[in-house]
Amino acid sequence: MSSSGGGQAGASPRADLLAAILLFTFGVAVVALALRMPTFAEQSGTGLTAPGIVPGFHGVVLALLAMMLGVRALRRGAARAGRAPSMAADAGALLLAAGLGTLYAAGLVGRLPFWLATALFVFAFTAAFEWGNGPRGRLRRLIEAAAIALGTGIVVTLVFEKLFLVRLP
Amino acid sequence: MLGGGFAHVLSGGTVLHAFWAVLVGIVIGALPGLTATMGVALLTTLTFSMGPNVAMLVLVCVYVGAIYGGSRSAILLNIPGTPASAASTLDGYPLARQGLAGRAMGISTLGSWIGTLFGTLILALFAPSFGEFALRFGSYEMFWVAMFGIVIAGSLSGGDPLKGYIAGFIGLLIATVGQEPNHAYPRFAFGSTDLAGGFGLLPVLVGVFGVAEVISAMRGPAVQAVSSAIDSVIPRLSDVARYWRTILRSGSIGTFIGAMPGLGEDIAAWTSYAAAKRASAERDKFGKGSVEGLMAAETGESACVPGAIIPVLTLAVPGSAPAAVLMAAMMIHGLNPGPMLAITAPEFIYQIVAMLVIADMVKLFYGLVLVRPLLWVLLIPRARLIPIVFVLCTVGAFAITSRLFDIWVMLGAGLLGFVLRSLAFPMAPLVLGIVLGDLLDKNLLRGLVLSGGDISPFFTRPISLVLCGLTVLAVLWSIPGLMDRLRGRPPMRA
Repeated sequence: MSSSGGGQAGASPRADLLAAILLFTFGVAVVALALRMPTFAEQSGTGLTAPGIVPGFHGVVLALLAMMLGVRALRRGAARAGRAPSMAADAGALLLAAGLGTLYAAGLVGRLPFWLATALFVFAFTAAFEWGNGPRGRLRRLIEAAAIALGTGIVVTLVFEKLFLVRLP
Repeated sequence: MLGGGFAHVLSGGTVLHAFWAVLVGIVIGALPGLTATMGVALLTTLTFSMGPNVAMLVLVCVYVGAIYGGSRSAILLNIPGTPASAASTLDGYPLARQGLAGRAMGISTLGSWIGTLFGTLILALFAPSFGEFALRFGSYEMFWVAMFGIVIAGSLSGGDPLKGYIAGFIGLLIATVGQEPNHAYPRFAFGSTDLAGGFGLLPVLVGVFGVAEVISAMRGPAVQAVSSAIDSVIPRLSDVARYWRTILRSGSIGTFIGAMPGLGEDIAAWTSYAAAKRASAERDKFGKGSVEGLMAAETGESACVPGAIIPVLTLAVPGSAPAAVLMAAMMIHGLNPGPMLAITAPEFIYQIVAMLVIADMVKLFYGLVLVRPLLWVLLIPRARLIPIVFVLCTVGAFAITSRLFDIWVMLGAGLLGFVLRSLAFPMAPLVLGIVLGDLLDKNLLRGLVLSGGDISPFFTRPISLVLCGLTVLAVLWSIPGLMDRLRGRPPMRA
């Protein structure tokens, strides 16, 4: 699907097996929760319109598909002894990006004024990822990061609140 | 009616919005890591205070611009700005390395312009009559339409149908959270009023496409443009005369694939490219800087845009991920896409046609004049761009209902999307599952209520039977080796 960001390289059989176990557990948990939902059979006259029918069906299919994924992963050698898959070289960068994003969206937004939360996040993100460019010109880069951060916080707040009349957290 | 559509869209200076919206779309599409889906989702936030007419024009323009913009980075950086432009790297980048970056961009502009125009023509010709036909669809048929969408997207969108189906069913499950349509019972709410309200479509989509892409964008080394010297970008009409068969073929393929639920622009581009290579007399040039190859990919992906809007307008089923967000935006603005559109607002289809044509013309204009500034945009360090995009994602998720809960939903959906991507699960079926979950749920339960619990109408009504057969065929087709066995041929080894 366009713009969907597909096209990743295939995952290892061991990663597929792990995903299959998690998805199977999830599917079974969904079915268990769906079975606990009321049926409202006295209102509808038939249990086929019970709220749990649709999620229960999805849960069953998901568990079955997860089983197929697990079997396929095992056939492809997921259980064979071997080196555990190594962390990707850029795992640190990905974790840092995800961590800073989580800190901003779940920690700062709503607790600090929006412009300040945004400025702090943009500065931290830019400074962290440009730190590795070396000590030469670091001070200049930090000053630029601070200017961009402050500018983003103020401009985004003004544009959304004043121009597009959108409420901000 | 078509004239009325143009008059409506062109009235009161509305058209001026097309200029900034297409520009924003091109910039978003050109920047690796930012996609058309993300662009349409983020811009939806900005359209809240606009009228439906202006809002739709802006979003259509962003969609058209972003799909085209992806080719800039494909040609200059060898990195597709959007997945839709991946096929364009094969011949666009070799052309740029030969010192013909301007010529490559000219071909891309011409192919994209003709492609969107071709697809729009098909939309104008067929969407109204198909919309009238879709009025015969009841709950039973709409259930199968939703199911067929999930299955076909799972089968074709990621190269691994099993993971595609799993992604689709995860999406369907996400859509079941909240009050169900028959008894208003809050499913999976666990006593939370926020969860009882369900997950908003836009926060989930912004998460899956925005946050997940923002995190992924920090992967790998920074990129360099192939050259800052650009030759002439003026397209040559001789290319149209020489490759008219390729253009027609790619336009048809692109529009058709667009109209299939959930497939989208990247598949349209790859299929058009493969078909052009098979039919070409100069196939040995493909992959080494073929004008025909680049033309085919660009025409196919751009023809897919109007194609993907056809099922949105007629069935309320999106043909691609950006079309899914566009559909959500239509609902937010009180426009109800789907079979009833042919009765409630038949003129809207022609207004969309007018918007697509205007967007295409503005895109052509920028394609000719906006070369060097885009080169500068491509060179913005991602460490400075990505956090700003993340901020816009957060604002986008919050803006609809002003709930902090929606920001957490966005974050959760983003992390889920990132993990699933890393495990090579395709995103298209996931999104289609989320979008179609409500349609499937409502129509299944409504159908069962109407039939008093009898499931036979799902299989015995003529249109239901056909759709059910297509769904089963799509599943069978995706089983490795099965079709070969049915044809009596030994299965091919993977």
